[in-house]
Amino acid sequence: MKIKLTSVIVTDQEKALKFYTEVLGFVKKTEIPMGEHKWLTVVSPEEQSGVELVLEPMGFQPARVYQKALYDAGIPLTAFAVDDIQKEYDRLIGCGVAFSIKPTNMGAVTLAVFDDTCGNNIQIFQV
Amino acid sequence: MAPTFYHQQVLKIKGNVFPNDDLCRQVMQAKDFMDKHFADKIALKDISCSACYSSFHFLRLFKLMYGKTPHQYLTDVRIEKAKEFLKTDLPVSVICFSVGFESIGSFKMLFRRNTGYTPHAYRQHSLRKNVTASSLKYLPFFFSLKKSNFQDGK
Repeated sequence: MKIKLTSVIVTDQEKALKFYTEVLGFVKKTEIPMGEHKWLTVVSPEEQSGVELVLEPMGFQPARVYQKALYDAGIPLTAFAVDDIQKEYDRLIGCGVAFSIKPTNMGAVTLAVFDDTCGNNIQIFQV
Repeated sequence: MAPTFYHQQVLKIKGNVFPNDDLCRQVMQAKDFMDKHFADKIALKDISCSACYSSFHFLRLFKLMYGKTPHQYLTDVRIEKAKEFLKTDLPVSVICFSVGFESIGSFKMLFRRNTGYTPHAYRQHSLRKNVTASSLKYLPFFFSLKKSNFQDGK
């Protein structure tokens, strides 16, 4: 058994694709139309055969409640690893990204949390 | 802007568990020391010295930060390096000493405990995977997908 996919629920797939590629720097891997929504995944440019992140459309009402509860509490839906968190933080701030937590040391890890503009808090971390 | 619930939790944990950034930084330096000097004979004393700590204090803080003792961490680094070398033609005995183990017996035992394979079996296993992967390159995409069903089976 292998982990090949993980997902974030997004309020708008087109807006999410723009943010996750143009701002975060991921690369679109798959886009398959499926009626109202699409199967849409992105990958890290450094690991294009690695785990795919599904930009999952918001099509289930209880998921909206769950997403909002996490968002309001500032809890990240998922986390991405970075090599230099301060550099990435500065770059994203320059792109207008809003952070709820600036880079903070937690033992061997430094973390920060930003708003993905699609209903989620996302954590970045450097080990 | 008021800190979110998550931010409050992060600050609380940081305050309770990792209150001193300088101490944490020193332990991280010790980890870097092991990453660089894994092939040398390293005693806990050397590692804790690199972090300016008493051995006992260092051991406790390292385990808190990395979830394993410095000795376990060093063993894991050495095993990972050995896995890389096992993809070459180097004899197992040469690999054992070049990654910092002092006896072949303990190397084999720790390697097996860590990976589930003996070094020899691991080499055979990764060799088989490489041969299959390179032969699949010459198959049309659709057939290689079908073939991967067999390839993944143990």
